[in-house]
Amino acid sequence: MSINVGHIRAAVVTMRANRWRSLLTMFGIVVGVASAIVIVSIAQGVKNSITGQVNAFSKNVITVGASSQDPTGLGLTSIPFVSTLTYQDAKAIAKIPGVQVSVPLEVLSGLPTGDKTLRHGIVFATTQNLPQVLNQTLAYGAFFNDQDSNAFSAVLGSNAAIGLFNDPIPLGYSFTWRNQQFVVDGVLNSFETTPFANDTLFNNAVFIPVGAADQMSLYNNPVYQILVKVKKAALLPAVAKKIKTTLLNSHGGQADFSVLLPSQIAGSSTSILNLMTELTLGIAIVSLFVGGVGIMNVMLVSVTERMHEIGIRKAIGASNRQILMQFLIESTTVSIVGCMIGIVLAVLAIFSLRAATNLAPAMQWPVFAAAAVVSILIGIIFGSVPAIRAARKEPIDALRND
Amino acid sequence: MALIKLEDVSKLYGFGDATTLALDEVNLSINKNEFVAIMGPSGSGKSTLLNIMGLLDKPTHGTYKLQNRHVDRLRTAQAAKLRRDTIGFIFQSYNLLPRLTVLENVALPLAYKGIGQTRRLKYASSMLERVGMQNREYFYPSQLSGGQIQCAAIARALVNNPQIIIADEPTGNLDSAGSRLVMELLSEIHKMGNTIIFVTHNPELTRYATRVVYMHDGMIIHDEKTAVGEVAKTARDKMYSIAKKTVEDDLAGVSLLMNLVPEKDYETSKVPTKKKTKTRRRTSGGKNRKKRTR
Repeated sequence: MSINVGHIRAAVVTMRANRWRSLLTMFGIVVGVASAIVIVSIAQGVKNSITGQVNAFSKNVITVGASSQDPTGLGLTSIPFVSTLTYQDAKAIAKIPGVQVSVPLEVLSGLPTGDKTLRHGIVFATTQNLPQVLNQTLAYGAFFNDQDSNAFSAVLGSNAAIGLFNDPIPLGYSFTWRNQQFVVDGVLNSFETTPFANDTLFNNAVFIPVGAADQMSLYNNPVYQILVKVKKAALLPAVAKKIKTTLLNSHGGQADFSVLLPSQIAGSSTSILNLMTELTLGIAIVSLFVGGVGIMNVMLVSVTERMHEIGIRKAIGASNRQILMQFLIESTTVSIVGCMIGIVLAVLAIFSLRAATNLAPAMQWPVFAAAAVVSILIGIIFGSVPAIRAARKEPIDALRND
Repeated sequence: MALIKLEDVSKLYGFGDATTLALDEVNLSINKNEFVAIMGPSGSGKSTLLNIMGLLDKPTHGTYKLQNRHVDRLRTAQAAKLRRDTIGFIFQSYNLLPRLTVLENVALPLAYKGIGQTRRLKYASSMLERVGMQNREYFYPSQLSGGQIQCAAIARALVNNPQIIIADEPTGNLDSAGSRLVMELLSEIHKMGNTIIFVTHNPELTRYATRVVYMHDGMIIHDEKTAVGEVAKTARDKMYSIAKKTVEDDLAGVSLLMNLVPEKDYETSKVPTKKKTKTRRRTSGGKNRKKRTR
C-alpha cells in the first residue's frame, strides 16, 4: 500500500468522523452531478423518442408548412392563423417526379358533437393517402377512399373517439359538425405521444374528406401542412428543391411557406429541448462550482485545524509534495464520494421518472464518466489552494500550532 | 570531524521594535556518538537551537554544517529528505498522530521514504519490540500511558535508523518511572552508536549524558564533559541553588523552619502530626542529597 492509498483511507476515516460536515461539503457536488445526469438523460430520452417517431411516421416525408416565418426562432411549428397553401398546391406537388403521394391537411374550426362535444379536438380535412404517409394503421374500420372524397364520413383519432362517444368502438355512429352529420368510418391506432411533439394532436383529431369540407365552406379552407411522401430517401433533397420552385411559381414568387426534410423536423422539435438542456446544465455547472467552493472552504478549515499534524508529518520527513498530495487526495476523495452519491440519486430519479411519467430518460455511460471526471477535476482544482497552503507551511510554524 | 558544527548562528524572531534575539552567535560542535544534554532556563534558546540543528528552522545568520555539508540554506525538499534520513525527533508532547495506531505511527517515516507497506510494518514492529512495546502495536495513542507513548515516539524516531536523535524535553510530561524508562532507552540507543541531543530542565538526567551545554539568553554560557552515571558538576551546583517554588518545596521549607523551633514549643503546637511527617520528609531528602552528591 503506497502512502497515497493511506491518504485515501485517512480521507475516508476523516469523512466518517465528521459525517455531517462531509455531507454538507459534498452537497453541491451531489446536486450538480445528479441534476446534470438526470437532465441530459431526459433530453436524450425525448430526442430518441422524437427521432423514433420521425423515422416511424415520417420516413421519406417532406413537410410543407404554411409559413416560412418562425416567430419563436426556436423551430417551433404551430398552426398558423393565415395560410396561403391550398389544396391546389398539394395537387401540383403530387405531379413532381419522385413524389409518391401528396396529402393536404386543412384545419377547420367548429366543435364536433356526438354523444359528447369534443372540446379539445381539431378537425382536419385530408385525402385517403394520409395513413400511407404517416405509416399509421387503423384500429377499427377503414380510412375513407377515393369514392368517399365528397362523402360526409370521418375517421377519428384514438382520443377523439373516446371524447365524442361513450362507446370505445364508435363505427357507424354519427356526430354533428357545423350542422352536418358525419358517419364514423374508422378509428386510427394511437400515435405514440412524446413531450413537445406536435404528433400528439393527431390522437385528438377528426379527419374528414377534403371534398366534404369544401362543400361546407364558402372559401378555400387554410391548409396547415402538405405531407409529401417521396419514393426514395435519396430523392428527398432534389424533390424538396423542386417543391420550393413549384410553390414559388404558384405563389407569385413569395416564399410564404416552409419545406422541411425529416431530419429538419426532428431538429426543429429538439431545438427547444436543447436550449432547455443547456440552461439546466448551466445551473448544474453553477451547483458544481458552488460545491467546489464548499470543498475549498472546508479543506481550508481542515488545514488550519490540522496544522500541528502537518508539522509532525514534516518533522518526521514528509516533503512539501507529499503534504500537497495528502490534501489533494482528501479533497478529491470528498468530491468523488459526492459524485458517487449524485450518480446513485440520478439513477434512482431516472428509474422513478420512467415508472411515473412518459419521459423515458435514456441513461448514457459517457455522461456518468464525464460526471466522474468533472468531480475529480473539481476536487483537484478547489482542493489545490488549501493543499498548497498546507504544503508551504514551515515545519516549525506548523508544529507551534496546537 | 564534527557531525554537527554551528558557527556564529543567530536566530531573530519578529521585526522592528518587536525583534527577539533567540540565539546570539552560537558556536557549537557535536561529534558522532555524543550524548549531549542542553540545559538552561525557559527562553534561553534551547528549543530554538534544537530546531535549527534538526532542520526544522533556519538560522538568521551564521553557518550550520551537518556531516560537513552546509545545510543552513537548503531548499525545503532537500531539508525534508535530510531530516527524514539523518534525524529522529522526540517531542515533549509525544506528537503521535491520534488517528493512527502505534504501529502505523512508527511506520509513517518509512512511508515517506517510499517503502512498501509490508516491509515498513514489519520494520516498525521490530522497532517497537526494541523499545518493549510490541504488545501495544494496535493500540491508539489515547489508550496508552505517557511513558508508553513516549516509547512509541522513540521507536518512530529510530525507525529510519537516523544518526542523530533530537529530543526536546523527552521526559517533560512524564512521572519519574516514565522518565527513567525513556532515558534508559535513549541510553541504550546511544550505546548503539547514535548521537543524542536532548533538552532538559532536570539536572538528574545529566547522569545519562556525556556532555552538558548550558544556555542563557540565547548564548552558550558553559559547556562541560561529564562522566556517564554522574550528575554534571555545574548542573549539580545549579540544582541546589535554584529557588524552589512548588508546594512540596514550600512544605519542605516549613518543616525546616520547624526543626529550628525548640522541642518544647514544637510539642505545644497545634499541628503535631505535621512535625513527624515533615521531619521524615526532610530526613529522606537529606539522604537523597547525599546519594546524589556521592
